[in-house]
Amino acid sequence: MSPPVKKPFAIGWEGAIFLALLLYPLFPIFESLFFRATQRSLGEQLPLVFIFALLAYGLNVVVGYTGLLHLGIAAFFAVGAYVAGIFTTAAYSFGWPFWVVLPLGVLAATVLGLLLGAPTLRLRGDYLALVTLGFGEVTKFTLRNMEKITAGTRGLSPIPPPSLPLVPPSAWADDYRPFYYLTLGVLILVALLLHNLERSRLGRAWIALREDELAANCMGLNPNKLKLAAFALGAGLAGLAGVLYATRLTSTADPNAYDFNRSIFMVCCLILGGLGSRLGALVGVIMLVGFDNILTPIIDSKIQEWFPNSGGRICLSFTGWRLAIFGLALILMMRFRPEGIVPSSRMKHELHPDEAVSNGIDPITMGRNTGEVETLGRKGGQS
Amino acid sequence: MPPILEVAGLRAGYGPIDALHDVSLTVDEGEIVTMIGANGAGKTTTLMSVSGVVRPRAGRVTFGGNDLRTFPAHEIVKLGLAQSPEGRKIFPRLTVLENLQMGAFTRKDPPGIAADIEKMFGMFPILNERKGQAGGLLSGGQQQMLAIARALMARPKLLLLDEPSLGLAPQIVTQIFGVIRDLNQNQGMSVLLVEQNARMALKVAHRGYVLETGRVTFSDKADVVLNDPRIRAAYLGE
Ligand SMILES: Nc1ncnc2c1ncn2[C@@H]1O[C@H](COP(=O)(O)OP(=O)(O)O)[C@@H](O)[C@H]1O
Ligand SMILES: [Mg+2]
Repeated sequence: MSPPVKKPFAIGWEGAIFLALLLYPLFPIFESLFFRATQRSLGEQLPLVFIFALLAYGLNVVVGYTGLLHLGIAAFFAVGAYVAGIFTTAAYSFGWPFWVVLPLGVLAATVLGLLLGAPTLRLRGDYLALVTLGFGEVTKFTLRNMEKITAGTRGLSPIPPPSLPLVPPSAWADDYRPFYYLTLGVLILVALLLHNLERSRLGRAWIALREDELAANCMGLNPNKLKLAAFALGAGLAGLAGVLYATRLTSTADPNAYDFNRSIFMVCCLILGGLGSRLGALVGVIMLVGFDNILTPIIDSKIQEWFPNSGGRICLSFTGWRLAIFGLALILMMRFRPEGIVPSSRMKHELHPDEAVSNGIDPITMGRNTGEVETLGRKGGQS
Repeated sequence: MPPILEVAGLRAGYGPIDALHDVSLTVDEGEIVTMIGANGAGKTTTLMSVSGVVRPRAGRVTFGGNDLRTFPAHEIVKLGLAQSPEGRKIFPRLTVLENLQMGAFTRKDPPGIAADIEKMFGMFPILNERKGQAGGLLSGGQQQMLAIARALMARPKLLLLDEPSLGLAPQIVTQIFGVIRDLNQNQGMSVLLVEQNARMALKVAHRGYVLETGRVTFSDKADVVLNDPRIRAAYLGE
């Protein structure tokens, strides 16, 4: 009897990471060790990681679970951010509190996701990728050009911090912990929600659809409706991340924060970590955001020390090589470990069936020579 | 009693090409009907047109009094028509158990679904042993059993089977056909069975149709088809 495929191992790692993150602020020694090594506060950086992990979770619903290539997730991220900007800043007279704006940002992004998805999700593969890419770029230019509404490249600010009991408003700026726990709390809640969703009827239907749309259709699944649901949920989570992002920055920032680079960066996080896997999304984001926001500046400042007269020549700055290294890492990844660093168990089965053999399972190709007939004769004598 | 399935003058195809020109057939309640024909004759296209995955271009498809042309594929399952597609299209990354649950996707009665899963495990004990494994790790014969069991999970009145014996060892084919006959005799389930293994199919079926390049060219009681010299020469290798 083989046990049902729960993944105690992977769930264990995810839980362990969340637990470590929950405990981190309680031990300031780590924060000061990290600061000594890097001149940076890890506690300031991690909320950004949590926010991008939320965005990656959202994208993972669309790309990982359902298998639709979505190259415009940043547009929905932007919607969340601008909802926060419009409904909280003094530029408008709303002045609504964070706790109203948060669900509103989710709602707005979800609705936009439905509006974009309904007419386009019938498109197959490459066409959907192009439409989402185009939509992302259109959104960015719209945000930049509709200055009256979005304040263009200046961005809407200042976005006030959330109000929480026991946390004085000044604490949000002076102390990294309120935002740290806010974003981590949201992230863990969403992870729990997705954990249950993956095991639900809807979650299985998404995977079935990705595996074989025709067979899924024969089972009575409605592909368009399922894709739309995934698209809307992905958009909603991106909107959630967007509200948190703008609130964290206290500004909607430049519309370039929501451009194609952001979308493709998130796709890279998923591929690196492992498509379809929550833990993979988290690890991918930690690695790439860490690479971008922590490792790159450190290496750059070291280069500055060693070559004081580099005079801003781009070939002598690590930032200049960053994207090339990125690309190389992805190519190597695709070549040697296409299922990602922390693959979902489902992907692993498909991409490395030979490992299954060594675990004593006969894969499709070997089934016919592995005594199947006898097995049936013994166990299946129904006919 | 009117037939449970009636296909009349069906024309269907892909892009500019018609794969079916004129296909008519009926399946009565409680009947096993087989459709035999060479590779490319249009057997799969016929089944896909019935289940709504391929949209008919002309003709009528009536199932239990419903005009199937007015239903999308995912609604047709709810009417009581399930298909086990060609090439064992199980979901390789879902577990055996999850595959079975997908088969019951349109049903809303968890206790009934659980009972039916047990029934499938009784019918195919190997699936019970492997229920936690990914479907893609099963052998060919086990995948075919899973594909059939998955279709049965919809509790169909009519089961469409597309080449269930393809690429399987003879003993397994015998077992699978035994199950089909059993379902038909004990539960009165109607079956439309597409096969290249004509001999096997005609032995289990009540009636047979011969399909050639998108047209029905011959149809009769199964034993008549089985003993027709032309059919024997063309499809039974004699
Ligand atoms: N998806 C498809 N696109 C285009 N042509 C197809 C497709 N599927 C089948 N055909 C063509 O339709 C004809 C009938 O095919 P099919 O119904 O699969 O036959 P059979 O199941 O009897 O082998 C063949 O000529 C085949 O090449
Ligand atoms: Mg066929």
